[in-house]
Amino acid sequence: MGVEPAPAVDVRPLAHAVPRRRRGVRPGELLVLAVALVVAVVLIYPTVWVFFASFKTQETLFSGEFAHYTLRNYRRLFASGFGVHIGNSLVISATAVLISTFVSVIAAYVFSRRRFRWKSVIFGGVMLGQTFPWIILVTPVFILFARLGLLNTYVGIIVCYVAVTIPFSVYLLVGYLESVPRSLDEMAIIDGCPPFQVIWRIVFPIMLPGVVATATYAFILCWSEYLFALAFLTRTDMKTMPLALYAFFGEHTTEWGQVMAAAALTTLPPLLLFLPLQTKLSAGLAAGAVKQ
Amino acid sequence: MRGNRAFVGLLLLPAFLFLMMFYVYPTLFNLQNSLTDLSLFGLRRGGQWVGVRNYVELVTSKEFRRVLYNTTVWLTLIGVSVRIVLGLLLALLVNSDTLRRWRLRTLFHVILIVPWATPPIVAVVIWRWMLDPRAGVVNKLLVGSGVAAEPVAFLSDVTFVWPALITIITWNTLPLVTLTFLASLKAIPAEVLEAASVDGATKLQSTWHVVLPHLMPAVVVMTLLSTFWTFNNFVYVWLSTGAGPGLYTNVMATEVYLKAFVDGRMGYSSAIGMVMAAIMTAFGLLYLRLVIRRELREVF
Repeated sequence: MGVEPAPAVDVRPLAHAVPRRRRGVRPGELLVLAVALVVAVVLIYPTVWVFFASFKTQETLFSGEFAHYTLRNYRRLFASGFGVHIGNSLVISATAVLISTFVSVIAAYVFSRRRFRWKSVIFGGVMLGQTFPWIILVTPVFILFARLGLLNTYVGIIVCYVAVTIPFSVYLLVGYLESVPRSLDEMAIIDGCPPFQVIWRIVFPIMLPGVVATATYAFILCWSEYLFALAFLTRTDMKTMPLALYAFFGEHTTEWGQVMAAAALTTLPPLLLFLPLQTKLSAGLAAGAVKQ
Repeated sequence: MRGNRAFVGLLLLPAFLFLMMFYVYPTLFNLQNSLTDLSLFGLRRGGQWVGVRNYVELVTSKEFRRVLYNTTVWLTLIGVSVRIVLGLLLALLVNSDTLRRWRLRTLFHVILIVPWATPPIVAVVIWRWMLDPRAGVVNKLLVGSGVAAEPVAFLSDVTFVWPALITIITWNTLPLVTLTFLASLKAIPAEVLEAASVDGATKLQSTWHVVLPHLMPAVVVMTLLSTFWTFNNFVYVWLSTGAGPGLYTNVMATEVYLKAFVDGRMGYSSAIGMVMAAIMTAFGLLYLRLVIRRELREVF
């Protein structure tokens, strides 16, 4: 597998593009287009609605009325201290991803390029991490963190996010490295380049697209994570956005406007990050299937 | 190679430490707890050794049988099947000549990102609003069009709660499956499809005999990955229904949480967790054989 095969979006020059619509709508096509329209509406309506609703007033929220847009929901959201949660989410997710990506890159390099004893056992073990039920970690890690004083700290939750993102990151990165020819880094080793330099100067630049895709995916995973945050961050000022959003949802079910503003802010970063990423990640998951 | 062992060891050490601390140690700790009557309210005192009593209780418990049924049949078997089948159909739709001719394919790739990028917590919040009996848009549509005489409380009515939950999960997770199938579809050589059509195969025949077999490996990967992600998932069920109405939609992940943090029976909860881990390890070994060994032959 590889994280970077052909882009799924058509990039052929327009001159060679599909013939223009010459004969209007064919009868069978109408049905296909109708189905496509319904599917498209179902897929985007819920999220798009959140963004619209976040700019509506409480009174017009549930009406179809499209007038009266306001920033009031956002102003009140920030006035209630939501900024703290945005900061928490950013610091925790970004730091966790940096560490997890670094740890996964060096591990992936070793798995892909070196031979050593117990390799398939160790690699298989890391891969099994992908199948692990996170819920059963909650109690033991809670007790461990309580003893180490890591509850309600950035360090605790970051360590946790690093650990849970490693298996999938290693899987994607090893897959990417396998699709990159070995000749370059092997040549560098023969030329006497020190091993760490080989990773940093030769391999890392080649695998950069794969690293970016993997890191983005890991970021979104941490950004959306709810279970561990719920268990290990109990103090209000430590909570991340998903927790704060849900707490809001529970406490002020009447304040739909603010719930929607919080939901919109939680959705925006993944949405912006996923747009460039989607081709790479899904192609990466499919690539194993392509390699017959 | 000189120094190879030290080099390999050094580079694997950080990952090794994280995984030991987060997977191996907690699992062993969990195993130990599962053999005690450890209580949330007596954590400091520790639990008394009870042998396999928790496991015996679990096997004979009626509630656990329902939890097991909900998790395997509803959440995983039905949930994952719906996702894979709809994902295949949607991929074929996006890839169809019609959408190509109308130049809608790129637009559909963008549309598919929207639910995928929506965090699960947000997905649940939106759908809970949409399915709300009073204000929800789904009920307004149903009642307005005369399909339903009065609003349906989707998430608290036992007739509808599972289909509603599966709808929420499918909406959020369908795009990844579809995009993966689309990426795999792109890799079918055009000549193969041309050859099929020259040989007189109809569209349906070439889809069935050429396209679907080509997609099979991607189907296997996505089925296994979806199984892990769904079977282990806590968030969708917990936030959508809180395992209710009553305990009607209780699944293994929520049962582990309920037993530990609501009933305070950490020992018993650990035993359920061990059963979950055992089932997932069995699937994991299948995954290693079917996916990792094929994809990463040089490594594994």
